[in-house]
Amino acid sequence: MKRLFEWLHARTGYRGAVHVMLDEPLPPGTGWFFTLGSVLLALLSIQLLTGAFLTLYYAASPDHAYDSVRFINAVRFGAIVRGLHHYGASFIVVAMVAHMLRVIAFGSYKPPREVTWLSGLALLGLILGFALTGYLLPWDQRAYWATVVTINISKLTPLAGEMVAGVLRGGSTIGALTLTRWYSAHVIFLPAGLVLLIVGHLFLMRRQGISGPVRARSGSPSAFFPSQAARDVTMVLLVVTVLAAYAWHGAPPLEGPADPTDATYIPRPEWYFLGLFQLLKYFPGKWEVVGAMAVPGLAAGFLALLPWLDRGPDRDPRQRRVIVSAVAIGVASVIALTTLGWRDRPLSAASRDTWTLREIGGRVFAQRLNCTRCHSETGLADPLEGGPSTRGPEWIAGHIVDPEMIAPGMREPPAAIHEREAAAVAAYARRAARDAYPGSSQTVEMVAPIWARYCVGCHKIEGDGGTDGPDLTREGTKHDAATLRRWIVDPEQVDANAEMPAFGDRLNAAQLDAISTYLAARK
Amino acid sequence: MAHTSETPPSGERRRALAIFVNTVVALIGGGLSAVLGAFALGPRASASQGRWSRAGTTDDLKPDEPVARVLSVSRVDGWYRARARETVFLVWDGDKAIRAMSATCTHLGCQVRWEAKDKKFRCPCHGGVYAADGTVLEGPPPRPLQTVEARIDPSDSSVLVRL
Repeated sequence: MKRLFEWLHARTGYRGAVHVMLDEPLPPGTGWFFTLGSVLLALLSIQLLTGAFLTLYYAASPDHAYDSVRFINAVRFGAIVRGLHHYGASFIVVAMVAHMLRVIAFGSYKPPREVTWLSGLALLGLILGFALTGYLLPWDQRAYWATVVTINISKLTPLAGEMVAGVLRGGSTIGALTLTRWYSAHVIFLPAGLVLLIVGHLFLMRRQGISGPVRARSGSPSAFFPSQAARDVTMVLLVVTVLAAYAWHGAPPLEGPADPTDATYIPRPEWYFLGLFQLLKYFPGKWEVVGAMAVPGLAAGFLALLPWLDRGPDRDPRQRRVIVSAVAIGVASVIALTTLGWRDRPLSAASRDTWTLREIGGRVFAQRLNCTRCHSETGLADPLEGGPSTRGPEWIAGHIVDPEMIAPGMREPPAAIHEREAAAVAAYARRAARDAYPGSSQTVEMVAPIWARYCVGCHKIEGDGGTDGPDLTREGTKHDAATLRRWIVDPEQVDANAEMPAFGDRLNAAQLDAISTYLAARK
Repeated sequence: MAHTSETPPSGERRRALAIFVNTVVALIGGGLSAVLGAFALGPRASASQGRWSRAGTTDDLKPDEPVARVLSVSRVDGWYRARARETVFLVWDGDKAIRAMSATCTHLGCQVRWEAKDKKFRCPCHGGVYAADGTVLEGPPPRPLQTVEARIDPSDSSVLVRL
């Protein structure tokens, strides 16, 4: 073994490189505070590795991205690899901020290290770019809506707003072109920039030497290995253990597939963007650009200019009260905004546990329209219930209206389908992918298709439906069944000014009885 | 802090620290390599049984005469669902039993044809010949034609094939 290394050294001189890397002279007093850069480097390496491996299974297309991410969870250790990558991003943000605050507190950006500081800030920007682009890739609801918000914010860029938004979007809407673009950025352009900048940052760090304690101590420099290396790996071990625990704990969240038509979804950014998210709430209307661009821009400008704003030779934070307090106020504001943003979360409307009438109606339509001929255990296509659907809503809507378009080879083209029926079937398909059908009474199954076909355009029940007519959730408290029946048959017979169309000739007696009894029973 | 870096660590301490550093690096590197390696190897083999597909009814079949049916099956390929067309030969005994055989030649994967004249399956590629029950009669095929699970639904005499 020893001879092998001798041979290798004779041919490559590798010990020189090891010596250069490990025997970096450190100023006396270098201690635990100087381990954060190594932690960051370790986390970034893990991120680079897990990310490279994730591309083995990921497909960057709106039709397949979500499926492929869900598939990763099923691959051996897939949930853990995704977990390391997902939570690793948050860990990097924390480590990066800690590293930066250490540099500020120790005044390490002072001459001759200004360029090192600027390269660090550029790294911070790149890493936020990673966070932003990586967020879209799973193509779930969170991903999609966070990106909608991001791109809309980018429109506030002074002078070039539309252009910036267009570049980010790729196409005219957020879709396939956005996804491939952000994917390229995330796996090719940003990593290339990151590696170059890290090399530059480390080169500068080695060239200037690290700054060491704020007051130079007496004594001769000591080598990085093994004392400081031991501190570094201790911190790294600690952080990586916590990260691994997170990843082990379970796969990162994956919501339903992206649905641009879902009006009930409440987008929320990842926690490290919550502060910015909250800030926007304080700048309504035309002032929004202040929150979206001016405040973050000023903060970035302040950080970039720190070495020139803080000119004194002293690095001791006690002698740099103005700068240190300014940064402390900034940090406190970010923490406060993040906390406020965290707490200010509306109740999700999507957490309904009962099926809406429209969804139940969709189920009835799906049976009437012979969807189940193919979508059954023995059919050509997957059953509608009991398995998650990974198709996006447009795909489903298009398929319902014209199954042949998407599934060629169907022998009988289906009968024309009314758009409301199609919408109900789509709602049903989405719901059935999430939850098992709980079963409903015969009355409800009779009423639901009527509701989904005729009423839902103008009326609401329990939050689902149109707004042109009154909400019928508690209609039984206002009218009895007989009145409601007369009203539905011909509203003008009851009220000459009624705007609702008559349904007497579209519904048969049994249907009229069912819907009026049903509505009268809603109290 | 146990020591200050002003004084270089003693030889013994230095060795202990070096072992510690190397162990941690090996631990993290090894753990990560193991996880990523297993991840790269691929998905767990899923016990995919295939699904029953309808392949017409016995009314379309003649007893003891193989009939080709092209079936469209959905194949799950990782995260991708592909629709594949597959030809199977159905051999009905005229009563309740049905056999199904894949039309794929076991030699190099060409599609065999049924020659009604001499009651043999013939592969167009390399001259493989199979008997009506799928056993090899001539040529290079190493195995009989692959049988496919099949049954007749007694309620409507439709044929179900598991693909």
